Amino acid sequence: MLGCRKSWVRLLTIGTGARRPPLPSVGGMSSTPAVEAERLHKRYRAKVAVEEISLSVGAGEVFGVLGRNGAGKTTTVEMIAGLRRPDRGTVRVLGLDVRRDRARLRQVLGVQLQDATLHHALTVTELVRLYATFYPDPVPAGELIESVSLTDSARTRFDNLSGGQQQRLSIALALIGRPRVVILDELTTGLDPEARRHMWATVEGLRESGVTVLLVSHAMEEVERLCDRVALLDAGRVVALDSPAGLVRRAGFAQRVTFRAASPVPEGLLEGLAEVERVRADGDRVTVEGKGDLLQAVSVALVRAGVVATETRSVQANLDDAFVALTGHRLDPEEESTR
Amino acid sequence: MTEIPVYRPGPRAFGQMLICELKMVARDTAGLIVPIGMPVLILVMNASSAGEHVVAHGRTALDVFVLPLVFAIVMATTGIVNMPSFLAAYRHSGILRRLGVTPASPMMVLVAQAVVGIVQIAVGIAVAYAVAMLAFGANTPVNIGAALGVLALTVAAMYAVGLIVAALSPTPNSAVAIGLTLFFLLGATGGMFGGMQNLPEAVATIGQWLPFGAGVQALSYAWIGAPVEAAHLVALAANAVFGTVIAAVFFRWD
Repeated sequence: MLGCRKSWVRLLTIGTGARRPPLPSVGGMSSTPAVEAERLHKRYRAKVAVEEISLSVGAGEVFGVLGRNGAGKTTTVEMIAGLRRPDRGTVRVLGLDVRRDRARLRQVLGVQLQDATLHHALTVTELVRLYATFYPDPVPAGELIESVSLTDSARTRFDNLSGGQQQRLSIALALIGRPRVVILDELTTGLDPEARRHMWATVEGLRESGVTVLLVSHAMEEVERLCDRVALLDAGRVVALDSPAGLVRRAGFAQRVTFRAASPVPEGLLEGLAEVERVRADGDRVTVEGKGDLLQAVSVALVRAGVVATETRSVQANLDDAFVALTGHRLDPEEESTR
Repeated sequence: MTEIPVYRPGPRAFGQMLICELKMVARDTAGLIVPIGMPVLILVMNASSAGEHVVAHGRTALDVFVLPLVFAIVMATTGIVNMPSFLAAYRHSGILRRLGVTPASPMMVLVAQAVVGIVQIAVGIAVAYAVAMLAFGANTPVNIGAALGVLALTVAAMYAVGLIVAALSPTPNSAVAIGLTLFFLLGATGGMFGGMQNLPEAVATIGQWLPFGAGVQALSYAWIGAPVEAAHLVALAANAVFGTVIAAVFFRWD
C-alpha cells in the first residue's frame, strides 16, 4: 500500500500547480473570489430546493457545503457548475458568468457529479484518453490513472469496476484538465476507509497547489478535516458559515461524557460540578455536557458517591453537534446509530 | 480578471469520441442482432422464390421488392430503435450530463452517434446485399445514383423519427418500447408484412407518406429504372425536417 500512497501524493503535483499559478489579485485589491453565488433560488414544481443561498469562496480555499440529504447541496453546486439555471440569483466562477461564459468556464472548472456515470462499456484507459482530448493541456493518461491507483484496472470496463474504483475514476476525470476550481460532490461516498484517506490526501494536495475546492458532503469528519470554511445547509438555506472550529463552538458545549450507571446517580451530584453544563438521563444511560476536564470531574464525583459507571465514553463536540444545535436534527441519521 | 482563452475541442476530440461510440455499439452485441441479423433472415426467407421472377429490365422481384424492404428494415431498426435507446440510456445514466461539464459539447455525442449509426446501416446493408448477390444472384439497381440518393434521404427521415423517440421517451426502456412500436407501425403501413397492394387503401396511402413506405417505394422505382416519384421524395424530406424540428424543440440533455 506504500507505493500506492506515494502515487497519490504525486497527483498533488499534477493537480495543477506547477504550470498554473493561482489567480493573481486584481488591481491590488483583495483577490476576486473563485466562486461567488448571490441569492440563489431554485424551485422544482411545488418543492423549493434552494430558498436563498449566497456563498463566496476565496481563491485557493477548500470550502465545504455540508447538509443532510435534500438540504439543497447538489442543486446549489449544480447551479454553480452552470448545469442548472437558478430561478433567481447569479453565479460567477473566477469572474465568469457560468451560463454565458460556458466555453471558458469549462476549461477552468473541474466537476465530479454525484450521480453521473460514464460510458459503461469503455475501459478506464479509453475513458481517460477520451476526456483528455477535451482539454488543451491534460494530465497524461498513465500518470492520472496511476494517481488514483487504477493502473491494475486500466483495461477494465467501467461497468466492471467496483463502486470505489468508479468513484476514483470520476474524480480523476474532474482533474484531468488541470482545473483552477474543482467541485467534488460526495467525494468519498461509497469508498472504503483506505480509499477515503487517499481522496483526502488528494484534496490536501489540490489545496497546496492553489486549486480552489468546493466540497459537497454529508460526512462531517471529512469536512472537519479538509475544509477551511464550511457552509451548513438546511432546507435550502445557509444556516451557518464559519471555519469548522468556529462551527463546533456553536454546539454550545465542548465535551460530552456518556455512561451507564449501575445504581441511580444522586440528585444534583453532577449538576453541582463546575465543569458540567447539562445533564440528561435516559433510564440508566446518562449524558453529561460541559467543558474543561469533564471526564475526570465526572469520574471522581461518581467514585466518591459510590456509583459504578460502565461504558463510559467521552467525545469532543464536533460539527454534528453544531448541526444539532443549529437545526434541531442530526446531520446523518445513520451516524446517530454508530455513535 | 486573468484572460482565459477559449478552447474548443477539435477534430481530434471528435475522432476519439467517434472511436468510443463505435466501441460502445460494437460491444453491445445484443443490439447488433436486430439491425444485421433480422434483415438477413427476412432476405433468406423470401429470396429463393423472388430471385427467379423477373419484373423488368432483367431485375427480379428480389431486386425490386425484397431488397428495398430489407434495406428499409436495416435503416429503421438502427435509426428508430437502436440510436434512440442509446441516447436515452446516455441521458438516463448521466453520461450526457457528465460531458456537459467538460469543454466538449454533448452535441458531439449526438453527431458521433449519428455517424456510428450510418456505419451500422452501411454494414447491415452491405451484409444483406452481399448475401443476396452471392447466394441468390441479386442485381444492381438500374439507376444507381437515384438508389443512393433515396437511401440517404431515407436514412435522414428514419433518424429524424429516431430523434423524436429519443427526445420524448422518459427512460431507456420506454425508448426501446416506443421505438419498436413505431418501427412495427411504420413497417406494417410500409409493406413489411406483405406488399403494400395488399393493404387497405387508406392505410397504404398513409404508409406512402411515412418514411418506411416512401423509402421502400422510391428505392423500388430506382432499382427497376423507373423515375422516382416526387411525392415519395417530398414525403421523405418532410419527415426529416419535421422530425428534426420536433426533436430540437423537445430534446433534453438530462
